[in-house]
Amino acid sequence: MAVDGEGIAEIAIDTALDPTGAAVVILAGELDSSNAASLDAAIAGILAERPDRLIFDLGELQFMDSAGIAVLIGAAKASDVRLRNPSRIVRRVVEVTGLSHILPIEP
Amino acid sequence: MHSADPEALAPPAATGSPWPRTPLRASVVALLLGLAVTAAFALTSLALYHQSEERLLRLRAHEVGSVLTAVVPSLQTPLASAAELADATGGSAQKFRSFIAPYVGPSRQFVSASLWRLGTSAPAPTVVAGVTPTLASLPGKARTFFAHAEHSPQLNVTGILGSSTPSLGYEFSTPGVEHGFAVYAETRLPSDRRSKLAGNSAFSDLDYVLYLGRTRNSRDLLVTSLHHFPITGRQKSVVVPFGDSAFTLVVTPKGPLTGAFFADLPWIIVIVGALISLAAALMTERLARRRLHAEELTTVLDRVAAENHKLFTEQRSIAQTLQHALLPDTLPQLTGMQASARYVPAAAELDVGGDWYDVVATDERHVLVIIGDISGHGLKAATTMASLRHATLAYAVERSSPAAVLGKLSDFVNSSAHDYFATVLCVSIDVDAHRLTLASAGHIAPLLIEDGEARFVEHEGDVPIGVAREAPYRETTVSVRPHSTLIAFTDGLVERRGELLDTGLERLRGAAGGQQVPLGDLLAKLVDDLASDGHHDDTAIVGIRWQ
Repeated sequence: MAVDGEGIAEIAIDTALDPTGAAVVILAGELDSSNAASLDAAIAGILAERPDRLIFDLGELQFMDSAGIAVLIGAAKASDVRLRNPSRIVRRVVEVTGLSHILPIEP
Repeated sequence: MHSADPEALAPPAATGSPWPRTPLRASVVALLLGLAVTAAFALTSLALYHQSEERLLRLRAHEVGSVLTAVVPSLQTPLASAAELADATGGSAQKFRSFIAPYVGPSRQFVSASLWRLGTSAPAPTVVAGVTPTLASLPGKARTFFAHAEHSPQLNVTGILGSSTPSLGYEFSTPGVEHGFAVYAETRLPSDRRSKLAGNSAFSDLDYVLYLGRTRNSRDLLVTSLHHFPITGRQKSVVVPFGDSAFTLVVTPKGPLTGAFFADLPWIIVIVGALISLAAALMTERLARRRLHAEELTTVLDRVAAENHKLFTEQRSIAQTLQHALLPDTLPQLTGMQASARYVPAAAELDVGGDWYDVVATDERHVLVIIGDISGHGLKAATTMASLRHATLAYAVERSSPAAVLGKLSDFVNSSAHDYFATVLCVSIDVDAHRLTLASAGHIAPLLIEDGEARFVEHEGDVPIGVAREAPYRETTVSVRPHSTLIAFTDGLVERRGELLDTGLERLRGAAGGQQVPLGDLLAKLVDDLASDGHHDDTAIVGIRWQ
């Protein structure tokens, strides 16, 4: 699947705690195979705290390739995952890959 | 794998002289230019120095000349007055002595002053003040002198008299007086004729030679500040009228009149200029060497870049070879059906991609088409792809339905720990019935071209392989018209960063429609149009055409 041929893409990863007890991971920039491992490491740290739920806020995420989706799927295997504010581009990728049930989008 | 030869990458060793020719030439040019400019400045400075020295010396000579001119009245006036007095008093000795006394003495104007009667054949002094005149002891000289002086209306000068105690004599007689008196005075000259001007004098920076008369005859030397003469080198002479004779004054500067600095300036310029030129030459040399070194480095870097490019091309070719080795060599060709496929590696990517495809004839009338894409890249993705591909082939040979193939594949992947997922499309083709059945594990639905019109087969995909256990896969069966074409592909063909997936899908649909062309040409066209320049992802595309 998609691979960036021009070095490491820029991504900002922020985490916060929702009042409901959910951990929120806010992603901004581009998520692809060049930086997916750093997100994977960040998620491992968050999951160690055993949050009730993991919410990925994708409002500022412009691009996500299959390596990024693989990280989200990995998180979904360990916790209850929701996507928040995905762009149309990301939303379509999730739909087309049949992941709407694994990575449900917040209403 | 080719390893770089370290010798080939080392900068070329300097051969022969440690001073390469090119930098040396540049620095010599810089040195010569610098020296030429220095010489020009030094010569200009020297010329200006000489010019101002000449001018100053001329001015000083005229100043000294003016001072000398003032001497004449100071000698003539007392003599003229005394001559008139003598004429008026009939040569009164007492009157003459009392008048002339203030002028005569060892440290005064005259050492001797005397009164002589004119018009006699043997002139002799009638009254003498001070020492006996030297002229009195030279009767021949005295006769000639007074014979001339009698008719001369001005101050008459004897010339230098005597040798042990040289003297200079002056005579004045009132013009137009018959048988009158002449007043004669003598001044003693220094025996060695040497006299220094006073140290604080305005002319202390000059040496001089004073001659009596209009020529520089050493016999006529009156006084000088020099030990050796005539003067050589820079000099100026002035002739100052002195009675019936003249003084010839020659002056020469003791040192530079404009000051030592201006005399030294040309040399200072030469030394400083030479040093600057030398420094400029050295700097040029250094810069030139640096440039040469940089050029050598550039050559080395170019060589390294070429080497890298070669290695990269080789690696890429290795990756492609591996990819092709993992993909089928030939596709089954059944009666009434054509199959074709293309694989395009990502541009500028070394890694082996995770895309794969297979076309398997399950019997003489049925074909199973499988196309898949594993998340990630590299050798790990490639080996995963290989294992998935072989598992899928096994399920295909078992004549499993598309949904069953995907279900088994999912079970296979979930049976062990894994950190990837794969999208897989499985299509069963019934050649005779013009029918296809497909199941999708998160893979993009294939394109169907019927009568020149392209559309995506409507089918909602299920979860990708490796995402969820107990994943149910649904099937869709579609009947197609004769000569229809099915195009299955991976997302590299349609996905563009920052673009909605539907835009890419629509681009593909537009490119695939229209007049029917041979299947191979169609796939080549789609790859060229959609996956050619600088695409980031590898792309697999499979085409099936009913005849």
